[in-house]
Amino acid sequence: MFDFLGIPPQALFGQLLLGLINGSFYALLSLGLAVIFGMLNIINFTHGAQYMMGAFGAYFLLQYLGIGYWWALLIAPIVVAITGIVIERTMLRWLYKLDHLYGLLLTFGLALVIQGMFRHQYGTSGIPYPIPDALQGGHRLTFMFLPNYRAWVIVFSVAVCLATWILIERTRLGSYLRAATENPALVRSFGINVPRMITLTYGAGVGLAALAGVLAAPIYQVNPLMGADLIVVVFAVVVIGGMGSILGSIITGFALGVIEGLTKVFYPEASNTVIFVIMALVLLIKPSGLFGRAASQTSAVEHGGASAAGDGGRSALLFLGVLALFFIISPFFIYPLFLMKAMCFALFACAVNLLVGYSGLLSFGHAMFLGSSAYVSAHAAKVWGFSPELAILTGTGASVVLGIITGALTIRRQGIYFAMTTLAFAQMIYFFALQAPFTGGEDGIQGVPRGFLFGLFDLHNQVTMYCFVFAIVFGTLLMMYRIIHSPFGEILKAIRENEPRAISLGYRTERYKLMAFVLSATIAGLAGATKAIVFQLASLTDVHWSMSGEAVLMTLVGGLGTVFGPVIGAFIIIAMQNYLAQFGQWVTVIQGFIFIVCVLAFRRGIMGEIANKIGKPL
Amino acid sequence: MSNDVILEARDLTKDYAGFLAVSGVNLSVRRGTIHALIGPNGAGKTTCFNLLTKFQQPSRGTIYFKGQDITSYAPAEVARLGLVRSFQISAVFPHLSLLENVRVALQRQRGASFDFWRSKSALDAYNARAEELLEAVGLADARHLTAVELPYGRKRALEIATTLALDPEMMLLDEPMAGMGHEDIDRISDLIKRVSANRTVLMVEHNLSVVAKLSNWITVLTRGQILAQGDYATVANDPKVQQAYMGVGHG
Repeated sequence: MFDFLGIPPQALFGQLLLGLINGSFYALLSLGLAVIFGMLNIINFTHGAQYMMGAFGAYFLLQYLGIGYWWALLIAPIVVAITGIVIERTMLRWLYKLDHLYGLLLTFGLALVIQGMFRHQYGTSGIPYPIPDALQGGHRLTFMFLPNYRAWVIVFSVAVCLATWILIERTRLGSYLRAATENPALVRSFGINVPRMITLTYGAGVGLAALAGVLAAPIYQVNPLMGADLIVVVFAVVVIGGMGSILGSIITGFALGVIEGLTKVFYPEASNTVIFVIMALVLLIKPSGLFGRAASQTSAVEHGGASAAGDGGRSALLFLGVLALFFIISPFFIYPLFLMKAMCFALFACAVNLLVGYSGLLSFGHAMFLGSSAYVSAHAAKVWGFSPELAILTGTGASVVLGIITGALTIRRQGIYFAMTTLAFAQMIYFFALQAPFTGGEDGIQGVPRGFLFGLFDLHNQVTMYCFVFAIVFGTLLMMYRIIHSPFGEILKAIRENEPRAISLGYRTERYKLMAFVLSATIAGLAGATKAIVFQLASLTDVHWSMSGEAVLMTLVGGLGTVFGPVIGAFIIIAMQNYLAQFGQWVTVIQGFIFIVCVLAFRRGIMGEIANKIGKPL
Repeated sequence: MSNDVILEARDLTKDYAGFLAVSGVNLSVRRGTIHALIGPNGAGKTTCFNLLTKFQQPSRGTIYFKGQDITSYAPAEVARLGLVRSFQISAVFPHLSLLENVRVALQRQRGASFDFWRSKSALDAYNARAEELLEAVGLADARHLTAVELPYGRKRALEIATTLALDPEMMLLDEPMAGMGHEDIDRISDLIKRVSANRTVLMVEHNLSVVAKLSNWITVLTRGQILAQGDYATVANDPKVQQAYMGVGHG
């Protein structure tokens, strides 16, 4: 037998095989995403949950009806597709005229609801699913052992991908589909029922995800969270391949699976992050993706006080005063630790909002700033023995650096592409935090000393700590008000209102957007660093993508694009988490539900509604 | 006489997957003139504008502005050199006040405005100049309205005021009179005449009486190519031009 670079062939080919299998799932999932995006202009965040539902479908069929693998391969995708059709008919169809981002937010909420319900019922330990009898065993090849089932998954996935490609690119039905993507009104005038075509397309895309789920069940076990992290990787795959091309997403999916497999052999530490690194490289070299066409620019998000949109004049400042008063009085009635948590998250949500409200960019990865600065600040205070104010500065500094790097890479993308790339970068940071030696892995950094502020004031005293947090948070919120009302803020507003015109006036708009991104990262980092000192803890929770989602939810509830609305949003969400904690997974379900309700019926958020009522920007 | 030429395009071509929107256009705009670009719908006039200001990348050809090759420049850089365009669809900042609209352009003199820590009252120094510019286009009374509240024709006037705020050496106006009433047309053509005294104007315009009144030189485009060039009398009497316009309903 031969060795390859000192790697035994069994290991090499074993990982290659696994890479191809994962590549099959990436290809099937990104193919479904691409088909749905092409027709509905929606990035389907529920895709991972629907993949999981496919696997559970197979399990239910076997467990309760005694129906085996082969029928499950047909029935489970159809059933999941039908649930998809119901979702499209009852919810998604209301969003087609709105910005693409609302589709992402709604499907994100749906994913939370679905995954939360399955987790509530089945926990997080996997349920085994047997390999069908006909595919038991395997073949001993000269260089490796090839299990029959794995060979089947690869062959079948390739066949399904090619069939889908032929259907779309080479048949009459496919040409209608492609035409409807370009010009729905025209296709409708041919007497074709376009809304029904859209519904069926969503069903088909979702069905593909469920099919991948059934295929995965015997390999990976059936688990409520099996699709949760996978979907983020698939987003990265989609960004790398570019959304425009069906064949592109298939090829990219398989290729990245293989690359990931090879990385496991040669440099296992990087196997979780390699796809995200490739994404960063592709963004540098060809921002529209390997197979993508230049994406059309999407409009900005609907603003809090649609008619009274804008910068919030004196009334916003007045509102900030009311908020400050509330946080001064309330520690006498409410648990101060809870209030400090609410303030830190208020700052975090305002950071997200600064970016979306004043440059139209919705970041879905701000947890990377919150989390990484929390780690650095905790490490500085605990290991290096920094005083709390220095630890917080160091943590915030780390976030600034991260903001400059990720901002430079992502700022040229707009709308959902920006949301997806920030999400993928955040996931890269998450894996880094999981593996890096100084972060303490699953345990995080615990027992961080609060220390003495400026060497004088003991922060273990709750009153002193509270005053310090209050000063940081409200000082920064005032600063944000100033940013919005500065000469720089004027240009940001002009860019948000009409970017081509701002360019034609000679403004290098990307630099201003990058500056806004870095400022937002700085504020998010400050929130994270402060939080680490207050709670004496930095953990993986802060850097996980669900934290980014929470920040977006707080912003949405409080009022997207209202200056201080997210403070209210943060308070509500944190209060909810605190007081509903005993209901376990139901908190996630409720959060998802709030997401859905906000997107469908309450897009202005609380402060946006109030601003609209009183006819003044807030 | 190339010294005289402020903007020059050589062999300018835009190829959309086989469809030549602009094909081999050689255009010279002389300094200090009002140069009109006319032609039937779909002739490639707006594409030409997009190429010249680098909002679109030409497939082939070179562009020189003040003798400098700007073919590889970014659109913001072109604007900073003093070649500023307007848009066919009115380009204002809808939720800013008229005064703020003009001030955003004036603000560029400050250089890179990254000073997020300063109050925007620093910009009050530009208010007087902004009001002068609004006065010039007849919008002084409306300066505290938001742009979205203006009727279409007045948005075009605001756009011209904003462009003038940059005091550009050369202005590219894409159908500045489209959608305007008679009164506005007279006011804006007087204004263009007045501001062209010390700068160059290249404009796309469908209203041929405006073209006749304002322009020193006319280039006629059809199907992405130059059909004829000359002063108004020459172009108007060219049988090819008459044929191209016949039945299209212009002139």
